[in-house]
Amino acid sequence: MNGATVQRDDDAGESRDFLIGLGRGAAGAMLFGIPMLMTMELWQLGFYIERWRLFLLLIVNIPLLILLAHRIGFERTSTAAEACRDATIAYGLGILISAAILIMLGDIKPHMPLSEMLGKVAIQSVPASIGALLGRSQLGGQAGKDEDDGDGEKDQGEGGDAVPDEISTSYSRELFLMAVGALFLNLNVAPTEEIILIAYKMTPWHALVMIGVSIAIMHGFVYAVAFKGTHEIPEETPWWHAFFRFTLPGYLVALLISFYVLWTFGRLDDTAPTQMLMSAIVLAFPGAIGAAAARLIL
Amino acid sequence: MTTTANKRHSEAKEPHWIEWATGMVSALVVVAMIAWVGYKAWTDEDMQPEFSIAVTERRPVEGGYRVAFEISNKATATAAAVTVRGEIVDGDNVVEDAEVTFDYVPAQSKSSGAILFSQDPGAREVRVRAVGYTDP
Repeated sequence: MNGATVQRDDDAGESRDFLIGLGRGAAGAMLFGIPMLMTMELWQLGFYIERWRLFLLLIVNIPLLILLAHRIGFERTSTAAEACRDATIAYGLGILISAAILIMLGDIKPHMPLSEMLGKVAIQSVPASIGALLGRSQLGGQAGKDEDDGDGEKDQGEGGDAVPDEISTSYSRELFLMAVGALFLNLNVAPTEEIILIAYKMTPWHALVMIGVSIAIMHGFVYAVAFKGTHEIPEETPWWHAFFRFTLPGYLVALLISFYVLWTFGRLDDTAPTQMLMSAIVLAFPGAIGAAAARLIL
Repeated sequence: MTTTANKRHSEAKEPHWIEWATGMVSALVVVAMIAWVGYKAWTDEDMQPEFSIAVTERRPVEGGYRVAFEISNKATATAAAVTVRGEIVDGDNVVEDAEVTFDYVPAQSKSSGAILFSQDPGAREVRVRAVGYTDP
């Protein structure tokens, strides 16, 4: 895998760092991927999901990983090229780990048709690759990449400077992080039958409460409860400024991601609009928690 | 804008207009959604599932005969474990029957499935009807 990088790892310490990075990525892929790798519905989706929806999901994952790698690497001076490389490695790790674990679980056997094996691995590789990327940034205190900024790529991105004490994240990036968080938690729960079952059990009154609670949790997570990484609102700004600018768009993002994931898994087919909305509201609840958590963690 | 300084995030005091625009659009969508769900909550009366079944295809398949159909639920209540029975009727006698169970037929939605008979009904009548369901 070193062949994908531009510089040669002559230095033994450098290649050791790279291996440690790979190990963290693999650990992350497993940590974040295990719940899905052990979900029956996802195995089944692997062979009955419509292939073009799966294709779309796999394609969408690429820019998502690159942006995420860039965002995570941003604080550690990464360039666009490095972000692409990290994303590729993460995707590759996700595929390998998914395949290895599915084989270990006896879910992939030699006599199965190739399309079934590929489908199962492909659908699992999406959450696993996000996990691999997060694992590298979150499990280690130092990503083993810091030495890379000496090889003349500084002109490629805004990340070329030394680590600044203060960085500004753009609004779109904040929304993007929320989308990643929502997508990740959604992928965890959306394939299970429980989501649609809950939607069927709920009355519209339950749904109204759920919308309110989701929005309140999102706002509370980020601004009120004092987690590490909690966002502060300047004293003179009324609380509803942040509510309108971040929480409501965040909830909308979570809702849209819910629709996308439900559609990908074929949960919206031949369903009345109200039922679609109910399922999306149910799924946006974990999505909102994921979105809020992503703003804090990443 | 969110400014991150030494792992603390604080929101900008003078945000870009686009943040407010996004916020307003989101608020509108969320309010519209709440209004829609609220309207449903007010107007939906307590209904029981009501099924109608339309046969969409009849064709011989290997080792039998397939009758494909669509089952739709017009009510605002979802039915689970919906059992649909198909019968080939000759005069008053039921020549053959077969059953299929749907996990869910959601409210105001359609599901499709098929019943496989071992013989070609030919000119004989084929009856397909729902025989039972559970509340989810």
